Amino acid sequence: MKPLDERLNDYLERLMKEQEEARHPVGGCPEPALTQEQSPSPDLESLVGLAWRLRHAPQLQVDPEFARQLERRLVDRYAELRQRSQKRRPLFTALRWRPALAIALSLCLLLCLFCTSLLVLAAQVTDPANPLYTLRRWEQHVEIQLSSNPASQATLNLQMAREQLSVLVRLADSGQGEAYQQGLLDLDRQVDAAASAIARLPAGPQRDQLAGDLAALKSDSIHELRHLLSRLGLPERLATTRELGQLGDTVPTLAHVTVVLQSHSTNGLVTITLTGSDLQPGAQLLVNGAVVEAHETQRQSQGLIVFVTNWQGNQRLQSLGILNPDGTVAQTNAIALTSAGESHQRGGSSKPTSTPTPHGNKPTVSPPSHGDQSLVLPYVARLEALAEPGCGGGIRGHTATPGCRVTKT
Amino acid sequence: MTETIERLLDRARQGDAEAVSMLYQRFLPGVFSYVAARVPDRATAEDLTSEVFLQMVEGLARLRARDEASFLAWLLSIARLTVAGYYRSREKEPLLLSLQDQGRQDSPADSPVGPIDDAVRDPLALIEGQEDWQAVVQAINHLTEEQRQVLVSRVILGYDLATVARMLGKQVNAIKALQFRALQRLRRLLGDGSGSLRVAQKRKERVP
Repeated sequence: MKPLDERLNDYLERLMKEQEEARHPVGGCPEPALTQEQSPSPDLESLVGLAWRLRHAPQLQVDPEFARQLERRLVDRYAELRQRSQKRRPLFTALRWRPALAIALSLCLLLCLFCTSLLVLAAQVTDPANPLYTLRRWEQHVEIQLSSNPASQATLNLQMAREQLSVLVRLADSGQGEAYQQGLLDLDRQVDAAASAIARLPAGPQRDQLAGDLAALKSDSIHELRHLLSRLGLPERLATTRELGQLGDTVPTLAHVTVVLQSHSTNGLVTITLTGSDLQPGAQLLVNGAVVEAHETQRQSQGLIVFVTNWQGNQRLQSLGILNPDGTVAQTNAIALTSAGESHQRGGSSKPTSTPTPHGNKPTVSPPSHGDQSLVLPYVARLEALAEPGCGGGIRGHTATPGCRVTKT
Repeated sequence: MTETIERLLDRARQGDAEAVSMLYQRFLPGVFSYVAARVPDRATAEDLTSEVFLQMVEGLARLRARDEASFLAWLLSIARLTVAGYYRSREKEPLLLSLQDQGRQDSPADSPVGPIDDAVRDPLALIEGQEDWQAVVQAINHLTEEQRQVLVSRVILGYDLATVARMLGKQVNAIKALQFRALQRLRRLLGDGSGSLRVAQKRKERVP
């Protein structure tokens, strides 16, 4: 036999089904007629009867008039809420019911999140070779621009420059030439920006303090950069020397370079005269960015050095420079080419006959307008060979020009 | 064809007032029955029912319910809180009437109230008599919340067992047991007199 709760449920189910089928109106439903077989237990009968009375109790039936009034109130209230909500949160409402807009906004939010993450990542990047480095520089620029006054800007620039200095040390050690040069440019920019911001400050203790900080930074930078020179390649040394000069250090400079081809020599001896400043004793000659062995024949203090070396082979003359013993470098491609015969004939007082090209790699040569053309022309041809690529001329140097031989005169 | 609750809810959330009306019409009997079974008079029941549906309208946008069972459960939870608030705000305890049948041996747990008037012993008579409705309300208030919800949703509204089970988060068998215990306890609280609840007999007396 089924448990009582099961049997009660069966009775109720049957009654509800009968009522549904009979479609009696609510409240006017006659009480169920249970047969003796259907309701054998008086106990269950009383429960079913109670349930049935409760189901149709008039107190639990809704008054139709009340139902109508409440419905009107609800609809009015709903309309009012909708209006208020549309006024207050049109975006949220639009999002809720316009999936495309919601998706677009979600994508925008994701993009913002991505950009923010990128900015956070970029802020930690110190390697100029990293693609995010440009972004970091932009961040720094924006940060400085947002600073309220020159003092803050100067402080920020000084701080960034110090960070940049430590980055340069790391880049020099890791041999990342291009990144190092970029970092050097950034250091220069930050130092300049700090100096500019300090210059805008009115005289006073704050300005003095920042100026002192800037001087300390420059001093530290000079010390660090000089320490780095020995670990760098020639292009980085050149850049570093330039930056040292910007920072106020004493660095070599070349004001004038003259190459004189010995007219009596059959093996291509050339005399190279370099004029400038801080040309230290023991400096080495650089031809086309490489050290060549040359004989130093003359020196006037630290302002002039004369080298003699042999010029043969296929090397094209592009630049000349010197490498000081302290690691600083000076180089130029503004070179004057001339011949010793012409010079001697004119008592050494004539100017070089070639025209220097300060920014080009090919010095042009002009023959002298006076003198014996039969003597001059062969020298001009050799000078042209120095200047023109593939002409068969070149300076012999065992360091940078394989196959060349250096001859001391 | 009757529109599904899910569809009605979607439409209502999109601002369709007609869908709100249809939801209201569909669930008004249940909510009103629940509230009316717990408060002593019709006016109060109507006021509280209005509050419940106004809260429904305000909460529709945030509602996560997707089917009839969960929506009804949500509505009844609002109704329960509204009734509780009604008693709390008026510092009214449900009227304690004597419901104990002197002829019965109810356990103390089942009979938290005093004896009912001897003149009113038949639960059916209590339900029918308007003046005695308060006693019925009092008895229903002494049921557990689950028993009340089963009584309303299953017995009064006629929802099937599966829906009520989903609504309360219980098994179907548990709903059957709750239904049985609710009616049994209600009968006990109201006092079943001397076996006067013969439905079939009454039916015969009324319907020729």
